[in-house]
Amino acid sequence: MNKNLILYASILVFGLAAPFIFPAFKVQLSILCVLIILAVTWNIQGGEMGYNSFGNILFYGLGMYLCASVQVGMFFPLAEWTESGGEKTFVHTPTQFFQGMAAGLVVAAVVPTIVAGLIGYSILGLRGHYFAICTLGLGVAAGEISGGIEIIGAGQGFTTPPFPNVGGLEARGEFFYFCSFFALVLAFITVRAIYSTRFKLILNAIRDNEDKAEAMGIETMKYKIIGWMVSAFFCGLAGGIMGGLVGYIDSTDVAFDGREMGVFMVLMAILGGKGTLWGPVIGATVFHIFKEGFWTLFLGWQYVALGVLIVVIVIYFPEGIMGWLREKYPERFGEVVDEADRKAQVELK
Amino acid sequence: MKINKIILSFVSAVAILLSSSVVSFAKVVGDKIVLGAAISLTGKYSSNGVHTQNGYNMAVDRINSMGGVKVGGKTYKFEIIYYDDESNPKRAAQLAERLISQDGVEFMLGPYSSGLTKAIAPVTEKYGVPMVEANGASRSLFTKGYKYLFAVLAPANLYLDVAIRTAVELNGGKGVRIAQAFEQDAFSQDVRLGILDAAKETGSEIIIDDKLPKELNDMAATLVKVKQMKPDVLVVSGHTKGALTAIRQIAEMKVDVPMLAMTHCDAAKLSKQHGKNSQYALCASQWHKTLTYKDNFFKDGMTYAADFQKEFGYDPPYQSAESSAALLVFKDAFERANSFDQKKVRDALAATNMQTFYGNIKFAPGGQNVDKPMVLFQVMCDGAGKCENKVVAPLKWASAKLIHPIPKWSDR
Repeated sequence: MNKNLILYASILVFGLAAPFIFPAFKVQLSILCVLIILAVTWNIQGGEMGYNSFGNILFYGLGMYLCASVQVGMFFPLAEWTESGGEKTFVHTPTQFFQGMAAGLVVAAVVPTIVAGLIGYSILGLRGHYFAICTLGLGVAAGEISGGIEIIGAGQGFTTPPFPNVGGLEARGEFFYFCSFFALVLAFITVRAIYSTRFKLILNAIRDNEDKAEAMGIETMKYKIIGWMVSAFFCGLAGGIMGGLVGYIDSTDVAFDGREMGVFMVLMAILGGKGTLWGPVIGATVFHIFKEGFWTLFLGWQYVALGVLIVVIVIYFPEGIMGWLREKYPERFGEVVDEADRKAQVELK
Repeated sequence: MKINKIILSFVSAVAILLSSSVVSFAKVVGDKIVLGAAISLTGKYSSNGVHTQNGYNMAVDRINSMGGVKVGGKTYKFEIIYYDDESNPKRAAQLAERLISQDGVEFMLGPYSSGLTKAIAPVTEKYGVPMVEANGASRSLFTKGYKYLFAVLAPANLYLDVAIRTAVELNGGKGVRIAQAFEQDAFSQDVRLGILDAAKETGSEIIIDDKLPKELNDMAATLVKVKQMKPDVLVVSGHTKGALTAIRQIAEMKVDVPMLAMTHCDAAKLSKQHGKNSQYALCASQWHKTLTYKDNFFKDGMTYAADFQKEFGYDPPYQSAESSAALLVFKDAFERANSFDQKKVRDALAATNMQTFYGNIKFAPGGQNVDKPMVLFQVMCDGAGKCENKVVAPLKWASAKLIHPIPKWSDR
């Protein structure tokens, strides 16, 4: 436990100091935090529960639009803000901006949670591929529908309120970094807390054999919905922050970005090792670093490079980075290894 | 718990990686002026992104080989750092940050498309980085009070304004019935706003008003309606894919409409790709090679087109021409400012008043170019099936007479 504390404390200190040590990387670090949140929360469904959800992007996009709409709507008429591609200009005072953002983030987290609860009841009844396809459709549909809603800018996009003129050039980056970092800390603590309870065992039971779990008297639906609501809460929060950070929301390219974010969150969790607490964190970090690197080194070919990376991972690390480490150094993961038993297995092969 | 060690070492590895990659080269290194640009090299705007990049490169080579930029008695050469924004606004905003805060770029060139420019402009504005952009035409870009954004092109709402007015004129001044379909993106929706304004002013009626998806491969539903309702004008806008899809399906479905007005015909190389099927299409363009503007670097449109053809193997669409013009504007501004101070360069940009092969350039306080009208060309084919774009409006530049109405498919 003691060692754990040191680990968490050092990561926390690193996180708090990062924007000052690497001021040029604030935006990338903020995005990294968002990516980690998405990967960690996706892992609740995809990793622990065995439900491959492509629909978590729905909550992310919803959070993004909601946060921006609340931030604008609290002080100005939203319809006029977005009319004709945002032709009219309104300026938030610093107080208005931060109040709006705070309220926006609350709404961005709460509403998707409720939505997850409502749609979860029907959608989580599906299993396997049917669930995956259905959730895939959710994201796509949300993108197309939001692209037709005039009040949030429709196809013209939604320019979020510009950061007020306080605290100099670095203030904006620092503000969004700390927003995303605290959201990440909150998400991680929450997920870690629920993983240390019976809840995780139930999720695992659902993954391993849902019918048996039900036969044992577990109300699987209840836990599936709660799990999804937790994911939705943090996806919405992450979306709200990301909207402010990007400054411009487009229905299919930024908000309901299933082709990128929606796939990335799955990829990152698998890369790091799904079904582990740290796997998605490591996966997201490695993924982000590689992606940024590829963008510089293989201009125009970055997706090819990324594709090769994915192929390599699938072939050589099918269990993800954490899974691979676990197999290689089981004792480090607190697993007891009986050498004689291991040898016997090897010989059997 | 040895796992902690793994994670700790991982965290420190990330930290080391980050700190080792903090490289910052300033905008002016030795004799180079480094400009930054996020360009769509992949994704849905990739073909136009490449047109943009070719335009930039062409101008950089030309300016550098003709003596470069003279500031403070010294000669500098242009260099551009490119990143691929994947046609994604989120990525574009991120890259603008990266160019400015990590690569130390102090002057930017614009990306392709209005949506991406909308995402980048707040960033450049925040850092006070002057950006000359050539491909973000959305009207709302110029009402935000941006001080560091300059666009060499005419705003999007003017693109097809001329087409509607011409149709009304040919209709004896009476309003026409318009069918329109626009992609769900910032630029096309702005073109739509322009049509709405023109329709209102001319008393025209909009009978079909459809939205098209971003990955535009099918617009049959709209065309079925067009067949039924027989409008006087059909307006379609959706970047390159929109133009290609419209022509392909209009030909397949034999849709008869007296006037077909579009955008991005030249970027889509319509006359080459669809040959006679694209005949009579009316296209809005920022530039055409037959226009008689002149400058010292590219001489005129025809020479530019010939040089471009030699270098890249295709006829330059206006996206390339306007991108080249952006560099000419930058060069001019640097020399007039005689400094690399961002504020001074910005003021020099604001005072720009010049002619380039692409057109006159003079910026309104909002940043848009107010000194260059749009032109309208029509795809015209000869008997052998060789098609060419000919300017038909405004009359001052016209090299051919507008063919109206478009003959029915049964008579072609």
